[in-house]
Amino acid sequence: MVLTCPVATGRTTQHQEAAGHSRRNLLRTGALVALGGAAVPLAGCDLFDRGDDRSRGPDPLEPLAAESVALEARYRAAVAAAPDLTDRLTAIADAHRAHAEELRKVIGRPAPSGSPAAAPTLAATDPDGLVAELRQAEKQGRENAARACAAAPGERAALLGSIAAARATHVEALA
Amino acid sequence: MIPRTAPTSIGPAQALAEALTAEYAAIWAYGVIGVHLAEGARQAARSAEAAHRTRRDALILQLSGGGGQVPADRAGYALPYPVTDRTSALKLAVEIEERTAGHWRAALPHTTGADRNRALAALTDCALRATRWRRTAGVTPITVPFPGRPV
Repeated sequence: MVLTCPVATGRTTQHQEAAGHSRRNLLRTGALVALGGAAVPLAGCDLFDRGDDRSRGPDPLEPLAAESVALEARYRAAVAAAPDLTDRLTAIADAHRAHAEELRKVIGRPAPSGSPAAAPTLAATDPDGLVAELRQAEKQGRENAARACAAAPGERAALLGSIAAARATHVEALA
Repeated sequence: MIPRTAPTSIGPAQALAEALTAEYAAIWAYGVIGVHLAEGARQAARSAEAAHRTRRDALILQLSGGGGQVPADRAGYALPYPVTDRTSALKLAVEIEERTAGHWRAALPHTTGADRNRALAALTDCALRATRWRRTAGVTPITVPFPGRPV
């Protein structure tokens, strides 16, 4: 049982996560053999493993989860810069947080370490400019979520569809 | 009335048939909604109804082309509450769009490729109309975190 499961899944603990990253880094430098599985506990191999494809490398939804986190941060920063926008933007910021939480549940492992969310940079300073900037980010985000929905296995499609639709409504709400 | 939650253990044809039933009910409901709205909103209701008719027609073609069962429209649908004025009409419009969104969302896991993209486009259109109706009604917030997700 244990031996059928690839090592370095980085799924259950921070320690494993860090090990997973170092393994990938080594992969890039072509030094895979040196590591083997020795540094990584052979844990997490059980009936609930979802297969090799998802246990190797980052989950394909990581970029979308990171985008939800980044979008929430941009909204919070916009509200801090222009408190008059609080009523208009808070519900949307909350939605992005809810999306990030649901995506994290579906991914089933902690956010990758070593990728701290960068502090959001907002070019605009006036409310109209801030809203326009957020609207542009939502348009891009909607496309990203729609692509993720199209590519996802069935069990993830409904959540991704709701996220894509929500981002579309954010574009509308900011019009 | 459109069931609030779609069944989960169904196949692709069944999921699309459920979406078609939701589209029938939405088209019917907009007939009730429109008469209680003033001209601007009434025009929006007409556009919404036309969009649902387009989805309905596409679904009928798709389902009959696949040799599956095509559910029939009914003469009328039960309303969840009496629609007697602008407020209740707008409330129903939001609800119709959210429920129809729910049926398209339920079709996503059962579809792939172009079919899934169509289902996502339909879900998104319903969510957008729900948002616009909330704005018209003065309801806040005008968005929901997970359009179409059963509550």
